[in-house]
Amino acid sequence: MNAELRTRVLAAAAAEPSPTRAAVSRRNMLIAVVAAASGIGAFMIFAEFMSESQLLRLGGEVVPQQSLERSVWLVAATVGGALAVAAMALWLALGRGRSMLGRSRRWLLYGGVLIPVSLLAWKVGCSIVFGDAMVPWPERPGERCLALTLLVAAGPLLSFLAIRRRAPVQPALNGAVIGFAAGACAWVAVDAWCPVAYVPHLLLGHVLPLFVLAGAGALLGQMLLSLRPR
Amino acid sequence: MVPDLDLGGADAAMERYATGDEAAFGELYDSIAPRLLGFLHKATRDAFAAEELMQETLLHIHRARGSFISGAPVLPWAYAIARRLMTDRARRRRVEQRLFAEAPADDEWMAHAPAAATETAEDVLHARRLARCLQQRMDALPELQRTAYRLLQQEGLSLKKAAEVLGTSVTAVKLRAHRAYVALRAAVREAGGAP
Repeated sequence: MNAELRTRVLAAAAAEPSPTRAAVSRRNMLIAVVAAASGIGAFMIFAEFMSESQLLRLGGEVVPQQSLERSVWLVAATVGGALAVAAMALWLALGRGRSMLGRSRRWLLYGGVLIPVSLLAWKVGCSIVFGDAMVPWPERPGERCLALTLLVAAGPLLSFLAIRRRAPVQPALNGAVIGFAAGACAWVAVDAWCPVAYVPHLLLGHVLPLFVLAGAGALLGQMLLSLRPR
Repeated sequence: MVPDLDLGGADAAMERYATGDEAAFGELYDSIAPRLLGFLHKATRDAFAAEELMQETLLHIHRARGSFISGAPVLPWAYAIARRLMTDRARRRRVEQRLFAEAPADDEWMAHAPAAATETAEDVLHARRLARCLQQRMDALPELQRTAYRLLQQEGLSLKKAAEVLGTSVTAVKLRAHRAYVALRAAVREAGGAP
């Protein structure tokens, strides 16, 4: 083995300080706090402008002279289920199993698809059980929920990409799953804020932004997570 | 085949390096650099490029040491980084341009020739032709097939680890390596060697 090459590599590494595991853990904790703060902050600002600071909305006027109220139990069930899915999505997106190469393509593909499917299925399932919430709301096609989801998820998406840092294989797919995970976190907030469970509204306002975020995550993942020679 | 090295030692050294033991990087280098360099040299057939890529791979590992997962094997990670860097390099056409511009010397081909084929001048020529033909066929293979074959046959990785390095399934690795094998066997047959 070439001793000169060994000396050169070791000298290059010594000249470039790199953080230890403890430093990376501290940095990731800080980024996680920033992600949570940015998401919650964006949600509060949006709620301030759109619904006079109401973070939890149980109902509203479906059409003139007809209003609908969600049961608190329904909100607890949908928000609780969404929280569980978001936690699993984060585990899938940010965890790497026991390999430095991250999760396999199959895990990422199936897991990524399951995130929006399970969120939608849970929301619809709970709403069917509680009945009234499924009625059409002509005044609310879903564009405000779409905007809210994108706004709340933007900070977490960037933060999660910063936590993941590098993906030597499948950076775009990893980025897409991170996008889904950020969207799942935002779904929790949107679920508390939006009383509508009409399926076309859910598809446009709640599910579509998840795919937009996954697309953005894939693009950003390809740019930020892939290895580049310095 | 590369001699079996103490990869448990490499994983332990990486673990200590991740926690801040600076001296462990030298141990890590000694454990994985020979295999890595061999892999890169076979893939690029350019000593300078191989050394440069190996240095870059180890520097990537150095930079990412803080995110090293306790108990994770370090070698598949190193191969994946090396492969990624090599692919990027090939994309920029630097290696390919060098490969096309500089034909390798006959001595280099001899290194790959079978030992039994050196008895007569005719055998030597035949072995050279065969090796050249094989190398050309290897170069013409799709990158994924070529790397799958090299990781399995030349680096001795298991199917599972090769699949991790390539970011694909075990079945896909098997298929790619088999296709590479079939293409190389056809090349041997065409060149007049035993299939």
